[in-house]
Amino acid sequence: MLRVRVASQEKWWLPLAIGGIAIAIGIIIAIVIPADSLFRPTTILVASISLMGLGVVTGTAGMIALCQLSFAAVGAWIVEWFSVNDIWGNIFGNFSFVVYMLIAGVGTAAIGVIVGLPALRLRGVNLAVITLGIAAAFDLTLQKTSFPALVAGKHIARPFGLGSDFGGDKGIFIFAVVTTALVAIAITYLQHSRWGSSWKSVAFSERGTASAGTSVQVAKLTAFAVSAFVGGIAGGLFDSQITQANFSSFSPLQSLGMYVLSAVVGSHLIDMALLGGILFVVIPWILQLLKVPLEWSTVIFGVLGIQALTTGSNLGTDIRNGFRRRRAKAMIPTEVGLASSQAIAAVEIPRGTGKVLLDIKGLTVEFGAVKALTNVTLAVEEGTILGLIGPNGAGKSTLIDALTGFLPEHGGTVALNGVSLDKLAPNRIARGGLRRTYQQDRVPPTLSVGAYMRFVSRGQAKPAEIDEILAFFACPPVRTPLSLVDVGTRRLIEVAASIAAKPQVLLLDEPAAGLSHDEHVAFGDRLRQVPSRYGVTILLIEHDLDLVRSVSTSITVLNFGEVLASGTQESVLSNPEVLKAYMGETELL
Amino acid sequence: MSLKLNDVTVSRGVGPVISNVTLEVTPGEVTTLVGPNGAGKTSLLESLSGVIGISSGSIELDGVDISKMSRRRRSHAGLAHVQQGRMIFPSLTVKENLQLTARTKADMDGALALFPELEKRLDSATVLLSGGEQQMVVLARAFASKPKYILLDEMSLGLAPVVFLRLIPVIEQIAKTGVGVLLVEQFAHLALKIASDALVITSGHVSYHGAADALLTNPELLKKAYLG
Amino acid sequence: MWLNNVVAGLTPGATYAIVGVLLTLMSQLTRVVNFAQVAVGMFGGYISLTLVTKMHLPIFVGVIVGVLVAAILSALLGWIIATWLSEASTSARSAVTVAGLLFLISLAFILFGYRNQPFPTIVAGPLFTLPGGAVVSKVTVVVIVLAIVITVGSWAFLKFTAFGVKLRAVSDRQMAAELLGLNVKMLNVSVWFVTGAIAGITVALVGPSASNDYVTLSSIVIPGAAAALVGAFKRMDLALIGGLAIGAIQGLFAGFPNLLIVRDWVPIIFIILFLLWNQRKEVWDVAR
Repeated sequence: MLRVRVASQEKWWLPLAIGGIAIAIGIIIAIVIPADSLFRPTTILVASISLMGLGVVTGTAGMIALCQLSFAAVGAWIVEWFSVNDIWGNIFGNFSFVVYMLIAGVGTAAIGVIVGLPALRLRGVNLAVITLGIAAAFDLTLQKTSFPALVAGKHIARPFGLGSDFGGDKGIFIFAVVTTALVAIAITYLQHSRWGSSWKSVAFSERGTASAGTSVQVAKLTAFAVSAFVGGIAGGLFDSQITQANFSSFSPLQSLGMYVLSAVVGSHLIDMALLGGILFVVIPWILQLLKVPLEWSTVIFGVLGIQALTTGSNLGTDIRNGFRRRRAKAMIPTEVGLASSQAIAAVEIPRGTGKVLLDIKGLTVEFGAVKALTNVTLAVEEGTILGLIGPNGAGKSTLIDALTGFLPEHGGTVALNGVSLDKLAPNRIARGGLRRTYQQDRVPPTLSVGAYMRFVSRGQAKPAEIDEILAFFACPPVRTPLSLVDVGTRRLIEVAASIAAKPQVLLLDEPAAGLSHDEHVAFGDRLRQVPSRYGVTILLIEHDLDLVRSVSTSITVLNFGEVLASGTQESVLSNPEVLKAYMGETELL
Repeated sequence: MSLKLNDVTVSRGVGPVISNVTLEVTPGEVTTLVGPNGAGKTSLLESLSGVIGISSGSIELDGVDISKMSRRRRSHAGLAHVQQGRMIFPSLTVKENLQLTARTKADMDGALALFPELEKRLDSATVLLSGGEQQMVVLARAFASKPKYILLDEMSLGLAPVVFLRLIPVIEQIAKTGVGVLLVEQFAHLALKIASDALVITSGHVSYHGAADALLTNPELLKKAYLG
Repeated sequence: MWLNNVVAGLTPGATYAIVGVLLTLMSQLTRVVNFAQVAVGMFGGYISLTLVTKMHLPIFVGVIVGVLVAAILSALLGWIIATWLSEASTSARSAVTVAGLLFLISLAFILFGYRNQPFPTIVAGPLFTLPGGAVVSKVTVVVIVLAIVITVGSWAFLKFTAFGVKLRAVSDRQMAAELLGLNVKMLNVSVWFVTGAIAGITVALVGPSASNDYVTLSSIVIPGAAAALVGAFKRMDLALIGGLAIGAIQGLFAGFPNLLIVRDWVPIIFIILFLLWNQRKEVWDVAR
């Protein structure tokens, strides 16, 4: 299920190399710098790991979680418990601490999944309040139960038999460097994996994620689990440094501080998490040197936080955008764009195979007393393009929502190639071969074109096929970040990605809105080829009658939630009732 | 004395949604704006009332440049904008909705005179009203603010045509009191019948500007505007 | 015995209720969950404390100045949000208050020092004794009455005054209200001002009986937010009941020493379950 693929495939080794260099630099620092000055650098690394964990759930997956240090506390608690009770000391010897730390990570991840459960239904501020409440309850519990080492009146053994002397401090620093590098490498690969894509997608749009065939539940819970795992590791590492933890290091207020710091620097980016760790330690240190009260550092974080949160920006993204803007021109080839792209050989409007692929019978949707759809019966024939038109508010988008599982209370039945889709969750329907696109932009700007294509197509298209489909729709190449792509083109990429997923039927909701007239024509030329070229049958909702006329095998008109007319282009468009409804000219005739 | 758009361009995202549009709304008359969906009609109204900013050009209300003003100050300058989608305040009663703009008893009575049927529903929550009644509240509320110019965006959206027919004479009546009306409608024929001036807008450009009658008597012109 | 514990829980419970009602008001009228809601009150409380103990001003002068400071701080935060985040999401607006909370707590450490001093007492002593021996203090009654007055008062203000009608209009549809010429920013900031003042009054009342270090005091916003969640940040009456219930439940558990840990978790778990049940029918977010 979890497949790691780095976006720029030719550079998959880069994170490993950077991690290796970082470890080497860490060892040099440990040798050069006197041991009594290594306490702060070690704390920087612990804070950075915590921030990386927070970066996953808050920065990447967009859920406000205010209990990151509770996860660290759980990790520290588990490490201490194993260590104080010396569970496997004789089995793993000097490596037992590392084993305990991994157990702490896994245990904390399990807690993280539980904490993440409310996120399946709650979002935004409600979730923030809940996670803060959990952090507060955790804090009270820790105050009462305290930590195993403190209760037993002992200090835990440091990893690899390191002593609590200066030599030991050097060892701990190197241990922290290696741990940080490993965590950073793991997170980098995860961010570029299917999980990472699902986090970025769920942060931008839950419905879009579900329609891409990905379970929103899994996306959210994995984000929490990974974040908690990393938090637990940070807690264990913290304990290796101080050997006896205290609840006061993990208060809810400090979790809030972590959140604000994470928002200021943008800690979903590894280098920025490191910078955050440095700020976390260095600002108080400088103040201490200047004999200024330490609380001024929190005041500074508070002000920076208000600034960052009001402008909605963070340091990391700003810096990267600055670089990107300079490279942007180089990244998007100038010839991209439907209108200026090479003309495609004219193809006739597709003719179907005669087999009914999507069978909708008696579909009814009610919102309270309002009937949005009444008894809609519609059959989409394999290999065709069905144009669905109708005035604003006729129920076209409601129809798509009902077909794709977002209105589970609808009446009537829907079957795809003989298989019933009723009561299936949206992501199941998408995987079952009925895909959709959206009128609004639901393409997460944090992904690259290639990552998005792979995320949506779910392994149905090989890299070469993805390149071919992108080229066919004159979309920018896979390396382009979606944040540099305009909205109209993003929606074309959404169409291309949905086709790459090889669904049996694809529902397009006004795909050409936002394109110019010339682009409409070019888009229509390509759309006509889709059924034969990619084996995808299409139901097209579109306002632009020119486009509908140029591609549709047959046309259905919806008005006030009912099917007004259905049949061939000529029969439907010459129907006076249709003209009346479509132009709203009730009194005209 | 008029509401003027001088060579206005509005950009959203990457490209312009309105390009170099010039138009004028005269007090006491209805100006109708028609065009296919996505042509930029709503953006045009929004740029007038300040919902969105303009990239170039200017907006003048009775000779005063209002293009830099806040939405609130434009409203105080005499501009009322009825947005798409029945912009009632659902938690307020009909009376409270009207009181937001009616400063005096006379304003209130004037607004209610447009739709006497609202009188017996004054204390109902607006959310319980039918779609047509809600739209009446919105129109009456805009009128109660005593605007010099009123912008109406697709009032018929989601209403049965019969219900919309009730609103048409009232819009005419409002214009007769000296208010300049800019009307955006998908029921183009109804809207053109009460209009003196008309504009057809396609892909952000004005493709026809002239008498409303000409469009009415020449259906080919209108059909071309809609269906390309 | 257990009744005594429940009654003892009512003072913090009523405090949670007040905070819950304030948070509900803020959320409804200004689209913010204000994590700094109690912190502004705390800051005002310490201003009064400083004025009374260091500058020897009369208590009521100190309290009035403190309440004003709380109101102005709150209004300032509201102004920042209304100016730069007028059309941002509730989450983004609320996140700013988290930073504001940190800012206020650390500023309190700097200005007022590390040692916690007792607050000057405004009301004290028992009021009456219930049959069974549970003692009801004056503070308990005053705070409960204040909670009810705030709830009913806010409801009546919103329902019957022209100002209240405008506030509700802005809360329904901000853009439409702006287009009608309403001064949305002023309306928003005035809500921040008033809720800040009420938070200041509340802290002045319960400060002497609560443990009053900056962090603990400011953290009352957490159970307060829990109370507000009971009413889904929409209904003040449920927030009021929720706050009192959370306090009473916590008091009840205080009577069972071996359940002390459970006691801390009961409210949050109760609220999670309530919210999950409440939103059971939704299929992912409609808006995004």
